Amino acid sequence: MSEPWGLNPEVLVPHGLVERPEKKRPLGPLFWICVGWIALNLIGAIFANVLPLENPLFQNYNFINAAPSLHHLFGTDDLGRDIFARVVYGSRISITAGVGAMIIGFGIGAPLGMLTAYKRGRFDLIVTSIMYVVLAFPAIVATIAVLSFWTPRNLFKIIVVIGLASVPIIYRVIRAATLSVATKDFVVAAKVQGASDRRIIFKELLPNVAPILISFVLIGIATVITLEGALAFLGLSVNPPTPSWGNMINEARTVLAQNPWLALFPSLAMCLFLLSLNFIGDRLRSHFDVQEVKL
Amino acid sequence: MTEPLLKVRDLVVTFGHGLHCVSAVAGISFDIYEGETLGLVGESGCGKSTTGRALMRIVEPSQGTVEFEGTDVTKLKGGVLRNARTRMQMIFQDPISSLNPRRRVKDIVAEPLDCWKSVKGAQRDLIVSDLLSKVGIDPEVYGNRYARQFSGGQCQRISIARSLAMRPKLLICDEMVSALDVSIQAQILNLLADLKAEYGLTLLFIAHDLAVVKNVSDRVAVMYLGKICEVGPSDTLYDAPAHPYTKFLLGAALEADPDSPIHGEVLQGEPPSPMNPPSGCRFRTRCPFATEKCANEEPLLREIAPGHQVACHYPLTVTSR
Amino acid sequence: MSGEKLLVVKDLTTTFATLAGPLPAVGGISFDLATNETLGIVGESGSGKTVLARTIMGLQPRTNVTVTGSVLLDGHQVVGASEDEMRRLWGTEVAMIFQDPMTSLNPVMRVGRQIDETLRVRMGMSRRDARARAIELLELVGIPSPERRYRAFPGQLSGGMRQRIVIATALACSPKLLLADEPTTGLDVTIQAQILNLLDELKESLHMSVVLVTHDLGVVATRTSKIVVMYAGRVVEMGSTRDVFAHHRMPYTRALLESSPKITSPSHTRLATIPGRPPNLLQLTQGCSFAPRCAYASDRCREERPELEATAEPGHLFACWNPLAHDREAVTL
Repeated sequence: MSEPWGLNPEVLVPHGLVERPEKKRPLGPLFWICVGWIALNLIGAIFANVLPLENPLFQNYNFINAAPSLHHLFGTDDLGRDIFARVVYGSRISITAGVGAMIIGFGIGAPLGMLTAYKRGRFDLIVTSIMYVVLAFPAIVATIAVLSFWTPRNLFKIIVVIGLASVPIIYRVIRAATLSVATKDFVVAAKVQGASDRRIIFKELLPNVAPILISFVLIGIATVITLEGALAFLGLSVNPPTPSWGNMINEARTVLAQNPWLALFPSLAMCLFLLSLNFIGDRLRSHFDVQEVKL
Repeated sequence: MTEPLLKVRDLVVTFGHGLHCVSAVAGISFDIYEGETLGLVGESGCGKSTTGRALMRIVEPSQGTVEFEGTDVTKLKGGVLRNARTRMQMIFQDPISSLNPRRRVKDIVAEPLDCWKSVKGAQRDLIVSDLLSKVGIDPEVYGNRYARQFSGGQCQRISIARSLAMRPKLLICDEMVSALDVSIQAQILNLLADLKAEYGLTLLFIAHDLAVVKNVSDRVAVMYLGKICEVGPSDTLYDAPAHPYTKFLLGAALEADPDSPIHGEVLQGEPPSPMNPPSGCRFRTRCPFATEKCANEEPLLREIAPGHQVACHYPLTVTSR
Repeated sequence: MSGEKLLVVKDLTTTFATLAGPLPAVGGISFDLATNETLGIVGESGSGKTVLARTIMGLQPRTNVTVTGSVLLDGHQVVGASEDEMRRLWGTEVAMIFQDPMTSLNPVMRVGRQIDETLRVRMGMSRRDARARAIELLELVGIPSPERRYRAFPGQLSGGMRQRIVIATALACSPKLLLADEPTTGLDVTIQAQILNLLDELKESLHMSVVLVTHDLGVVATRTSKIVVMYAGRVVEMGSTRDVFAHHRMPYTRALLESSPKITSPSHTRLATIPGRPPNLLQLTQGCSFAPRCAYASDRCREERPELEATAEPGHLFACWNPLAHDREAVTL
């Protein structure tokens, strides 16, 4: 009884049947619009000096609280300063704060998180306990306290304080993300093949943690920008007359009846920027979401 | 008798500490000879997977020695340990999580070569292509795909290719076909048999499916609650088991034959908690033949026929119940 | 309703609407089941057996899923029934148990209460009555010290115990039909034997019918009276268990039987394998779905899908253009 399949060499399945369509979710036009908006803001922030803008500090008493016009695109504030120029210059503060704080936060929190998740043991125990203790301390209160006393205030100090305050949360998230990967068999397999710890962290763990990392960075920047706004309300952001979105909105509170434009435009700028960041972060996360194969 | 390739003596693996100690492996000894396949079978919680992991020092043995090619693996550290590991490789149960979903298949198989930088360039690529073809994956078509694009059976093939890259002497298969469909399982088992012959491998095949273990192994060891009950040649052990647990285990396994009788006596009760194992023989709480001696004295593995050892005070074939 | 079949399935088709197009998970299934019978639905992963079980149970979501055909459960039509209508059947007419007992039980609720709930909601029992009946049920499913176990959490119990609790919950309102989706996969072999024996006993004492969905041929061979073999969402062979095992006609059935290792075979027996892999249901060809892997495939097999046809044995049907010869020796098992 010749068995037709008993001793056949394994037939490789023809191309068509194996093909699992690797369809990544399309990023979509809205994604690119948001990227464009962010890019626009960045260009404005970086090149503000060379752009044809009014001097943001120049007070023109002839045009106090003016409505938007050709000359003053967003109108003027109660000291006659051009709002459009101030919004553009203000983006510098917000963006620098966001990016700078995240560089510090992730620069410290992420490597620590990955290292402790991978090595575990006493090192993990000590670092995590410290982080949890620091986390228990309300970050906002600490930020406010430090900034109140650490004068004269400037952007650098704000970035450092917010950055350090965000380390425990970033540590926790990255550690959790790494833990879910570090327990998988392929990490054990790599170790068993003789890969050094460094190789495992960079070649096995990092590529799997990267998507979360990227989207979390973007959301982190958005959070810091909002935080700057909140600090401005408490008078703890950069000192006037330097414009920032936060302190512009703060100033607008008192003159809201006479000059709604002063509140509207910086708010709009901040809002659109944050929405774009969040949207990009979310889209990137789902784009990199690796669909696991079903058996 | 030649020296065994792997000699395990009094291996103990304990988890937890103080009052909450669990000995997943409670003192086992066995040998594996070069070129043979030893099957390690048992139900969940018996410690078979832990044994496999302890041999590779993925979990640390608490006591005992593991002599591989004459060297005690338990005493090695650092670079020497990493080096020794290349001679022993392991294949895991879950094919999907055994491979990094974000890496390409070619890189995954080449990883051991890259770690040790033993071969580079064109020679490396040649080895990788060769390995992939041997396991039935066309390197031209599939080599550049990501690991996440493959099915369970194919992932397991890739894992096998990866583990063979460094030409190990011993391959530990930890439930490697348990997660696969029957038809895919058959393909993988046949492949394993072919590769074993071609590469001169020695296998430790850990599984819970009795039929699969018998098919693959030359000798089989049965574990219960951290101890080995019986070791013997596959055919003999399955035809005439000496330990009552082995007999119940075989009785419970269902054959794909409507006419095969359902063995009347079903093993009652549940396995006791490994945190609080019974005194003496660990199986005595469920064994219908247990006596007081079984409670007081732990039976040691002793030979009842050439190559056939059993840890029981009243082995079945001897006292013919 | 006397003498009638308990479950009648006719031309059942379940199609999922996916981003990549319609996925015909289950197509053209017809079979029936009488009282006190055990039916086995056998197939590998991707064969559609779980989808079939859930469709019969009425568990498919109402959106993005199209179900056509008819499922008559003791006279009640399941296809097209609303969730409210199904709720009246769940528990009292039909119950289902799933593979992983840990996810079938609420881990933060005591097991006794989980059984109670069904009794109090569906049968309107008082708390005391429900508790008494729950303890009765725990005893029925063979749980030692039921009063103590009544207050346990699922996490405190072993896998076998949990599955017994799940069975107790399912049987609380004495359904006529029990659907068991891989109930013993993942359990130890000795525990599996206990659970299957339990199901047999309960079937007898409660006059129930059981549909056992599994990939394990050993379970099907010894515990069912009828079986349905599925491949790529369709039935390829069905009949009484004995007939199908001994006189199977469809090559896939044969291949399935031959590729599982047998305890009675000597070690190192070369296993028969089926080349290739199960097909992608999104890209089904027009002919027989098994043709690409079948050694007997002819051109007709690739172009035209075979329908189920009858054999000499009553109830034994298969779908194949080139069936195995009728008097071919059964595979030596």
